[in-house]
Amino acid sequence: MTTSRQIALSCLVIAATCLVADGALHDALAQNPFGGARAAPDAQVGGIVGWLLMKQSEFYRQMSSTIRAAKADGSAVWTLLAISFAYGIFHAAGPGHGKTVISSYLVANEETARRGIALSFVSALMQSLIAVLIVGIGAWLLNVTASTMCGAERVIEIASYTLIAAFGIRLVWTKGGSFIGAARSFYGRSTPHMAPVLANAAALHPGHDHHPHDHGGPGHHHHHHHDHASAHATVLHEHGPGHVHPEPHDHHHGHEHDHVHDEHCGHSHGPEPAQLAGPGGWRRGLSAVFTVGIRPCSGAILVLVFALAQGLFWAGIAATFVMGLGTAITVATIAILAVSAKGLARRMTASREGSGALLMRGIEFGAAGLVLLFGVGLLLGYVAAERVTCF
Amino acid sequence: MRTLFSTVLTVLKAAGVDALMRRLIHLLSISVALAIGAGAAQAHPHVWVTAASELIFAADGSITGVRHAWIFDDMFSTYALQGIKTRKKGVYSREEMAPLAQTNMESLKEFAFFTFARVDNKKQKFADPIDYYLEYKDAALVLHFTLPFKTPIRAKQLALEIFDPSYFVDFSLQKKDPIHLVGAPATCTFAIQRPSDGTTIAQKLNEDTFLNGANANFGAMFANKISVDCP
Repeated sequence: MTTSRQIALSCLVIAATCLVADGALHDALAQNPFGGARAAPDAQVGGIVGWLLMKQSEFYRQMSSTIRAAKADGSAVWTLLAISFAYGIFHAAGPGHGKTVISSYLVANEETARRGIALSFVSALMQSLIAVLIVGIGAWLLNVTASTMCGAERVIEIASYTLIAAFGIRLVWTKGGSFIGAARSFYGRSTPHMAPVLANAAALHPGHDHHPHDHGGPGHHHHHHHDHASAHATVLHEHGPGHVHPEPHDHHHGHEHDHVHDEHCGHSHGPEPAQLAGPGGWRRGLSAVFTVGIRPCSGAILVLVFALAQGLFWAGIAATFVMGLGTAITVATIAILAVSAKGLARRMTASREGSGALLMRGIEFGAAGLVLLFGVGLLLGYVAAERVTCF
Repeated sequence: MRTLFSTVLTVLKAAGVDALMRRLIHLLSISVALAIGAGAAQAHPHVWVTAASELIFAADGSITGVRHAWIFDDMFSTYALQGIKTRKKGVYSREEMAPLAQTNMESLKEFAFFTFARVDNKKQKFADPIDYYLEYKDAALVLHFTLPFKTPIRAKQLALEIFDPSYFVDFSLQKKDPIHLVGAPATCTFAIQRPSDGTTIAQKLNEDTFLNGANANFGAMFANKISVDCP
């Protein structure tokens, strides 16, 4: 038991580190927020990150020559597609807010790995499509200048960041409620049962003492529920009223979801994929994808304009979608990591009733906070994102 | 975020969660702190510039400004020229590209023209660019512009860096003779340090120029560093 738990713990920590490092590494602080000189980014080149940057640059630089070659020799298009695919994979492993938001969203919610994969692919497909639309309408149809297209990209960018922040607020609101609920029910439940150690602690913090009295009535109810149902059910059930406050949609989905939970969690340890595949769940997931998917990749725009100028727009479009496929594979891998890390955490804490639930709600709340932080950070320019090519 | 995790940690500690859980949360919070603290990689280049720069000296021996000639890569050159109307297809005159050059100057201002000058480790300010124009040569766009110093530099040593801190633009100095001192007193010398190979190409000076004094703090690995000495 101890060994297997230790293995699980290590796996979880590794996965969590990957996820967290991934997000933070790439969306690192762009500028010194204190207004001082920008720190020289000397520590960044080298190691895995340096290698990723190098590989990416290599593939990217080969694209223009390959497109030129394809003008004379059609078979070079295959090379172009191969390069684009590789670039997509490496590109997504590099900077980008997309996977941070998607992974955090998956962790914040009861999402399955399968849905994580689907959402990754939908968002990458959407990004490719938007890039093709911008260049198709802007450059091919209307023949506008690069700076006009760039203006459109900027508007989309701001819209995307605003949506991420709004989505983050919504997640924080719901998950914060669940977290507080879990903490309350945990204190409320544990105090009477607890050993003298905790009784002493409670005595030292009179604030805690109030809980059993304040929530005396409902507290009792939780107990009862708790003993039979899984931790989830208790928390969600107790926190039902908290969900009334957010906007109508939110409340609606949240509620539906919670009820399903309540009923099933009584006997199972977690929701089955089928339970999550309800229309509300998908809609929620797609809104996460939409926030990141509407912002196209600058690299794709450049490749498309270049291909158009060479009279090979179709090859550029194909390259963009293949690039998106590569991106999706990387993002999906990170998403799977995130979801499995959370799954492991859930399994590990399943035996611990109150504290396990509290931990799970804490992780979810943290992930929700991450989405909000990234949205606000991107909007204010503290978090570096891929710059729009406007010179 | 660090606060958030430590709050969770405190709550759990208070709640008497066992050691394993505490360790897990602790590790998580450490990894978050590390990842954020490291502040590692940002962007990756989408634009490549091959630069050649001149330092312009006045008759009195002071440095009045920096004149750049930046050659853009194939892909970006094509992108930038998208939608520019020309009399003759594929031939772009300086006049036809004048609005684009104007846009370039306005946009690059936000990034301090990727040109950073220091004297005794003190940042030197540039005035607005002058004499700017675009040239289309060998299927590449070349941006010419001059950045005059707000006050001409009279110091014995000037350190100049050309780079994009966010690494969206990759700058590399032209292979052959990238730097020229124009109208400089005969005693003035310069040294170049390129980012790619990490070696100092000491043309007249040795690399001690970089290791000693004010220039020693210059850390950006992909910065192109130029040091001018007029003893």
